[in-house]
Amino acid sequence: MEKLYRNTAPEYKTVDSIEILGDKKYTLSNDIPVHVINGGSQEVLKIEFIFDAGIWYQNSPLVASMANSMLNEGTSKYNAAEIAEKFDFYGAYIGFSAAKHDSSVCLYTLNKYLTETLKITENLIKDSIFPQKEFETILLNKKQRFQIEHQKTNVLAKDEFSSLIYGKNHPYSNIFDESEFDELDINTVKEFYKTHYIPDNCKIIIAGKVDQSVIDKLEKLFGKNAWPKKDNLMDAKHEIQLSEETKSFVCKDDAVQACIRIGRPIFNKTHKDYTTLHLFNLILGGYFGSRLMQNIREDKGYTYGINSIIISHLKGGHFVIVTEVGSDVCKAAIDEIYKEIKRLREELVSDEELNLVKNYISGEMLRNLDSPFALSESLKGNLPFGLDNSYYQNFIQELKTVDAEKIKTLANTYFQEEDLKLVVCGPDNCRSSI
Amino acid sequence: MIEFDKFTLENGLRVIVHRDETTPMAAVNLLYNIGSKDEDPERTGFAHLFEHLMFGGSVNIPNYDEPLQLVGGDNNAWTSNDVTNYYLTVPKDNLETAFWLESDRMLSLAFSEKSLEVQRNVVIEEFKQRYFNQPYGDVWLHLRPLAYKKHPYQWSTIGKSIEQIETVQLDEVKEFFFKHYAPNNAILVVSGNVETENVKRLAEKWFGPIERREIAERNLPDEPVQTELRTLHLERKVPFDAIYMAFHMGKRTDDEFYSTDLVSDVLSNGQSSRIFQKLIKERNLFSSIDAYLTGDFEPGLFLVTGKLSEGVSFEEAEAAIWEELNKIATEKVTDYELKKVKNKIESSLVFSEISYLNKAMNLATHELLGDANEINTEVEKYRKVSIDDILNTSAKLFRKENCSILYYHAKK
Repeated sequence: MEKLYRNTAPEYKTVDSIEILGDKKYTLSNDIPVHVINGGSQEVLKIEFIFDAGIWYQNSPLVASMANSMLNEGTSKYNAAEIAEKFDFYGAYIGFSAAKHDSSVCLYTLNKYLTETLKITENLIKDSIFPQKEFETILLNKKQRFQIEHQKTNVLAKDEFSSLIYGKNHPYSNIFDESEFDELDINTVKEFYKTHYIPDNCKIIIAGKVDQSVIDKLEKLFGKNAWPKKDNLMDAKHEIQLSEETKSFVCKDDAVQACIRIGRPIFNKTHKDYTTLHLFNLILGGYFGSRLMQNIREDKGYTYGINSIIISHLKGGHFVIVTEVGSDVCKAAIDEIYKEIKRLREELVSDEELNLVKNYISGEMLRNLDSPFALSESLKGNLPFGLDNSYYQNFIQELKTVDAEKIKTLANTYFQEEDLKLVVCGPDNCRSSI
Repeated sequence: MIEFDKFTLENGLRVIVHRDETTPMAAVNLLYNIGSKDEDPERTGFAHLFEHLMFGGSVNIPNYDEPLQLVGGDNNAWTSNDVTNYYLTVPKDNLETAFWLESDRMLSLAFSEKSLEVQRNVVIEEFKQRYFNQPYGDVWLHLRPLAYKKHPYQWSTIGKSIEQIETVQLDEVKEFFFKHYAPNNAILVVSGNVETENVKRLAEKWFGPIERREIAERNLPDEPVQTELRTLHLERKVPFDAIYMAFHMGKRTDDEFYSTDLVSDVLSNGQSSRIFQKLIKERNLFSSIDAYLTGDFEPGLFLVTGKLSEGVSFEEAEAAIWEELNKIATEKVTDYELKKVKNKIESSLVFSEISYLNKAMNLATHELLGDANEINTEVEKYRKVSIDDILNTSAKLFRKENCSILYYHAKK
């Protein structure tokens, strides 16, 4: 029997580099770029059609999201029930999402049914007709969901925070009034679909077991088949309006906790200091071992969880700390958050802690980038920035060059107390916390 | 087909190994056969609170998370009415760290007063955040005691009330640990880029020396057969009325589980499903509606839950649901419809086999239920379900006297 030393950790290896399954690029005959990530053990495919048809491009609220949702609601060939019937019968799943810049249609299918499921997907992308009855149902149900969501303190706090850092009317805030649901015109939505869901505006990412026959099918249905091009697509312009207010309180009287958001606008992942920012974020609130989690949850027990995140938009971005705490400790929690940020401005992070987060982050990359489906998600996030997944290999190399001094400098450059916006949403007795 | 090796240590710990070379990672999943159904009715929420305390340091290792993060690992845990499950993932070369950490907290905890005090607060905040600070968040706190009168499924894993959590003492924590946490009351699954020989060596080394513990036989009260419809009305500050209907069904290991699962699929899996098409799309009675099973080990619940559209009355909404339930209980589904839901099941099984961690959790659950290999034979059981099975199962389920209804009124 080997001798056991239970109070000594076993030896371990650090992750020095990660192997990433790269993507192969094809171009369909109408110039649609196709990125292929071929791998995995199951006979399954994820095919995502991505269009520049996000909130950024709409002229009024809800247009991009409704145009996207309505793709599932009827074509000149099939009605909504028939479309649903077909996907379900083949055990496929079709997902729709409208994001800040892009909107997508994502098909998950078994390889053996690709011919059938891809055909319907083609039909709904190219030939949706937006039936009035379905439009009304979808809109009404979205409105009800919106009303329920806006009962939540974290949603109210998020809206208020976004309006402080981007401005109320900016697409990155995407704030609008309930009444917009009643004013939306189906023709505006239909027009948006016709001008934005076109080949010039499309890219495709395929992940899973991909062979030539998959590419051939795509070419046949999306490269060669009639699909009108439009060439007068205009980019939209939106100015960010940073509010001069630094603090805001949103009252929700029946809340039993207060939701706190503290953060600021910040550069996106193309900036030279992004790796340093990533480490700063991780140390402060980016993982379970973070200072905020250890202090505010694990030492004080004020909350179930506290996190900080970095959001990289194509034309901007922000950093934010989010937590929900007992309303009686709201003030104390805010003070502790500021205290932890101040420590990062004033003290160097120890070698031990820095080493730990660097190891943690390498493990996390290995974990998050291990399957074709996961890699396709990352690729989707990277492509708009002109990057691909080799970005992570550079990131790991760059990580090694970040030291405690750099993190302290970053903290002092960007995270002075006056740079930060504070939003609290909770019962009235939390008003005095800000 | 998921291949795996299985062996049992002398102390009774069952170990399962599944190799998946497509990932550079390894997952370790440790399932303890202890859930909130094993709690004292005066100390509900204890199993879940205890799960939090398992991260508060063990007998030889003061901090669980840090050494794991140092080797690039990550972890979490969850508690259900039936089990408590701990899982972690590490780069494959650092698998031994996982064995070191998990075996030490199976050996014994640090039992720190500070950890208990903090985690009591954390769990109370979790209680508030998830059950009281969300619209419709407290539904299960009321629906469970309506459906169950004797069986411990009458309380949620979070517990009956904050008060029961507030007063937990350290000696109760110790007692609970030695009563339920033991190699002979757990299942260890290791999956990912791992070799069975190596796992065997590590398991013997780290878990082998932990002594077997006395585990009392589980003796839960049976839930008496329900004989009449039960109803409860609640009024809350939410934007819309909602309805929650719960029907008693069998346990996870019953043959009938598979037909029951398919009944829920015919009703509500996917946008082509019956209640989605009929009640949301055609009749606009609900903004969302769902039929699903709890999947509990002991006799569980079949739920139909929906948020009513603005202006729709409870009478109208409930009648429309009963219409669909009566239909499936009296008229045969078509061949096509049955084939469709079976295709969906097969497909979702294929998709679920992508994740090595997912496979580890499923293997552990099946092993606890009787046999890990069920993960491979289950699909056959779904295939065997017949049109008559769907009819009979539905007829048995959807009776008024088998039903508890919670009417959740929006306060205007």
